[in-house]
Amino acid sequence: MNNEKPIVQMRKVCKRFGNIKALDDIDLEIHPGRIIGLLGANGAGKSTLLRHIIGLYLEDEGECVTFGCKAGKLTPKELGRIGYVPQEGELLEWMTVKQLIRYVSTYYPNWNRQLEEKYVADYEISTKARVGSLSPGQRQRLAILLAIGFEPELLILDEPAAALDPVARARFLDLLLQIIQTENHTIIISSHILSDVEKVIDHAVIMKEGRILLDCSFDELRERFSRVRISALGGELPAELPFENVVHCKRSDGQAILTVQDCPRKKLQEQAQKLNCWVEIETLPLEEIYKIVVSS
Amino acid sequence: MLLEIDHHSGVPIYRQVIEQIRQQIMAGQLSEGEQLMSVRELAAQLRVNPMTISKAYALLEVEGLVERRRGVGLFAARLRKDKKIHTKAQLLEEILRKAAVTAVQFGIPEEKAREMLAKLYRKYDSKTRSHSHE
Repeated sequence: MNNEKPIVQMRKVCKRFGNIKALDDIDLEIHPGRIIGLLGANGAGKSTLLRHIIGLYLEDEGECVTFGCKAGKLTPKELGRIGYVPQEGELLEWMTVKQLIRYVSTYYPNWNRQLEEKYVADYEISTKARVGSLSPGQRQRLAILLAIGFEPELLILDEPAAALDPVARARFLDLLLQIIQTENHTIIISSHILSDVEKVIDHAVIMKEGRILLDCSFDELRERFSRVRISALGGELPAELPFENVVHCKRSDGQAILTVQDCPRKKLQEQAQKLNCWVEIETLPLEEIYKIVVSS
Repeated sequence: MLLEIDHHSGVPIYRQVIEQIRQQIMAGQLSEGEQLMSVRELAAQLRVNPMTISKAYALLEVEGLVERRRGVGLFAARLRKDKKIHTKAQLLEEILRKAAVTAVQFGIPEEKAREMLAKLYRKYDSKTRSHSHE
């Protein structure tokens, strides 16, 4: 299903800051039409990676190509297709919100005034306030508006939900799903809080210490791990359970709860039948999957 | 075509879509030849990524439960009678399996379990229910 051309290609990208390897041999392709979750703890290299995509940082080694152009040499033509919300955005503090919106919109011939007005109303943005006087949550909403107002094909959001309250966060996720309904629009969203993004992402890239640990579709990630409850139908479970790829196991005499990786349902059921056991297979909460991936 | 997605269940969304559509086709809530919502319509309604719906539809097509008419859309397929019976039996077996295991674990005798199922069947089946009133 993956025959479209990638819009971002990173090959063997390395980046050092002094002694610290911020990016270590990164290979990544971003395909259009997806919402990609870039996940990892603080300091994993998420922001550094995102900055490479738009040429804000230049790689020490390797190559990063965005919209077919080397990221370090992006022209206004490509940059006009990318919306970026940095983690701590610098906004022009002395302008009023309205002035800033008008100022930014003049850079984009395709600025969508209707979308802007709807967003301002939905998110209760006070247009008369001075930008410097906004709360962190209000600033974040404004930064998001400035990044989506020209309907960019690629929207990059660095920890966007961090400063939003739960209601604004839910609305924000809904907004992302509305954006993605337009053909070939792509969103990359970084977060260290999985529950913030799990409702919307359909592809996961998990980072740790500058490396990519895992890069796969979200469905695949969910299906690779399962929780298996085994209970003996008559009496006790055998001392040795023959199951493979067990990540974690808790058991008593008559019951066992296993966490397994890459083990087909059918095989589990067949093995359980041989042991005269009843087996229930459940999906694993994402937080737990994430912990397993990161600690492996 | 009314679907409901549970974002907390942990079951991938495309599988929830498949299971619900399969269920609706088997229960006749989605009748043969009826057109399914387009990928974009359904994605917008459920607030999920269109790719997720495409994937679910593609797998339903492989399963033979829906048919694609080029340029028109997707329709609930006309199923062969034996295939339909087979699929229904499979779905029911999955549900009954859990009941059977619970009965075994609780030590409820087979005869008693059978009796309970029969009683419940009569309770919900409108045909036998009206007979019993006569």
